[in-house]
Amino acid sequence: MWALDQPYTPRADRLSTGTPLTLLAVLALGAAAAVLVVQLGALPPGTVRVVGVTAGHGALLATALAWVGVGTPSQVLAVALIGLASAAAWAAPLGALAYLMPAFWILWLVARGQLTGLGLGTPVSPRGVMAGALIGAGLSSHLLISVSRTLGVQVRVDHAPDVMAAIAYDVGANVLAAECFFRGALFNRAQRRWSFAGAAILATAAYVLRYVVDPLLPKHVELVVGAVFYLALLGAANCWLLWWSESLVPGLVSALLFFAAYRTLGAG
Amino acid sequence: MSLIAAALTAVTALVALEDAGPASLLRHAYLVPVLAAALRFGAVGGGLAAMAAVLLSAPFVLPEIERSGLTTEAVEGLVTFALLGLVGVLSGVLRTRAGRHRRRYEVLVTIQRTLADEATLDVSLARLRTALAGRLRVDELAIVCRDDDRLVVAGGDRVAEGSLVGRVLAGGEPVFVEDAGGSGRARRAFATPLVSGGQPIGVLAVERKGEISVRERATLEAIGAHIGVALENGRLVSRQRRFAAELAERVATARRELEELDRAKSAFVAIASHELRTPLTALQGFSEILAVRRLPPEEVTRLAEVMRREARRLGRIVSDLLDLSRIERGLEPALCRVPLKLEPAIEATVDVFRQGTATHLITTECEPSLPVIDADPDALERVLTNLISNAIKYSPTGSAVHVGARALDGGVAIEVADAGRGIPVEALSRVFEPYYRVPDAAGAARGTGIGLAVVKALVEAHGGTVRVESAPALGTRVTVVLPSYETATHDRRWSVP
Repeated sequence: MWALDQPYTPRADRLSTGTPLTLLAVLALGAAAAVLVVQLGALPPGTVRVVGVTAGHGALLATALAWVGVGTPSQVLAVALIGLASAAAWAAPLGALAYLMPAFWILWLVARGQLTGLGLGTPVSPRGVMAGALIGAGLSSHLLISVSRTLGVQVRVDHAPDVMAAIAYDVGANVLAAECFFRGALFNRAQRRWSFAGAAILATAAYVLRYVVDPLLPKHVELVVGAVFYLALLGAANCWLLWWSESLVPGLVSALLFFAAYRTLGAG
Repeated sequence: MSLIAAALTAVTALVALEDAGPASLLRHAYLVPVLAAALRFGAVGGGLAAMAAVLLSAPFVLPEIERSGLTTEAVEGLVTFALLGLVGVLSGVLRTRAGRHRRRYEVLVTIQRTLADEATLDVSLARLRTALAGRLRVDELAIVCRDDDRLVVAGGDRVAEGSLVGRVLAGGEPVFVEDAGGSGRARRAFATPLVSGGQPIGVLAVERKGEISVRERATLEAIGAHIGVALENGRLVSRQRRFAAELAERVATARRELEELDRAKSAFVAIASHELRTPLTALQGFSEILAVRRLPPEEVTRLAEVMRREARRLGRIVSDLLDLSRIERGLEPALCRVPLKLEPAIEATVDVFRQGTATHLITTECEPSLPVIDADPDALERVLTNLISNAIKYSPTGSAVHVGARALDGGVAIEVADAGRGIPVEALSRVFEPYYRVPDAAGAARGTGIGLAVVKALVEAHGGTVRVESAPALGTRVTVVLPSYETATHDRRWSVP
């Protein structure tokens, strides 16, 4: 029993210990520089989106990797792959498939057992995956029904390539980075310091804030309120999924299902 | 859970089929699964079910607000949301509290029942740990309790230095650890002191992969205090019973000893009477012969010698009885101590025996330049006489009796050794008790059972010690250690090397 056998020393490290500040600073400077250059007209406006996606998702993913002890080269490679994928998606619709590259890189790290601290590479129970699928499906169906009844938005079936590209973006950047950071890293660290409720509130609030300030989210009140409502539910549910199943996979499943449903509405 | 989900789905389907808008009467049916969830799963279940009900009914209420604003029907729908949330959470909280109180009382009863019997502390703690582990729903549980200068640990082998339990045991304050190692869900640990009389007497420690809420910790603290009091009560009762048992045993032992003493005294009276009568008979008989008959001078001399020997024997018995009387009154024998050379005293006593018996070979061996001792000559003679007499009585005819003396640091050691049957080990510790006679020896030779008691009293009155060593069938050696005159006069302590 730990309380009898192991020496106990009160925790001294901070929640942000291990944050790759240099890499984050480089990404922030790069994004600012890109905005400046685009403002000066030296680069096309689409460049801002490429750099923004790279900096935003890259920062989340790199921080998550750093917090579980993955080396700087792997963090930089993850950021670079997201940047490449973002650039490829900007260049051509099929280029969005390049978002699978960071996903494969993460899978490679998982296979090497480097991401168990995030809840990846640990045993996954079918019940956990089923619960994730049920939560994702429940929230998705509710989203589709409620927005179709309130806002009159319909499921879009005539732009399948755009939907697939958006889903690829979710798989390789949006959902992957968000779940790895807000659940695998932030919630995981927080629940080792505070109660489940406190950790879930912190992680979910940060998760919701990340999407509210996202320039890609349309700034209509109904959409913002809806986003806050569903993302808060999704975030809290995914915290519970990670807590209960001790794996990030069920949360990834639920988030992917939810965002896939969201993409079919054409709001993304 | 699936029933509740099915009920929520069914109510939603009925509301949709009715198509009566946000004020549909069927919306109140959501209360049934919400209440069921609250009663079954507590606050969390009630809250989640209420949230699910609100989510499911939202598509019927929100479009109305979107279309027509806050109409009466829409407000009714919103009020229903609030009602569902209120009912679900409040009912669940009440149910959770009731369950918590029930479990707490069950735990307290379990503690009382487990610690009520008379088992040892180790067994009681092990039983209590088993009983509590099931009721407290924790992954690991340990109870540690101080028992004088040792720690009794139930649920582990030891308390490592610097461990959580060790810290609580030393500090006496409860400690909660949010992260007790392991991957995935955080493993919590909580240790609280077992308090009795304001002092920590042990620790109750639990570990769980998951939450240990503030309320649970408060409950565990109360349980710790309760266990402390129960353990202390049990310990007091156990101690009281142990004392009662010890007292009864001591009374029984004392009674046995008194009975034995009584029997020994009765036996002593009979033996002493016999011992006194024997020399008296001899004195009476020989004196009558001398009075009425005319005998040759040699015969007169022989009879006079016999009478002298018997008179000495009679005198020795009377002296022993007088000394024993003083011992039993808690007084030391009266001594007249003078500087005394030991070797002549030993030789004189041994000569008496040599003249009186031809059955044993008595040898002496005294180291040269023995120190002068501070002793009463008469008492020393009685000590030696008793020891040599015993050696002769309890060793076979023809065997040797050895009397020796050697110098020690600050004193002398006198040894009387025989090659007799020896003394059984179990009797060695009692041979100096008054009236005690070794059972096997009682039939082998005559004796009063006071000789060695008198020897011990006389030797200790001189500031010396007496020790007996014996091996069955090999013989017995009695060692008397007396202080030298110089040591005795300077009142120094010394011992046998």
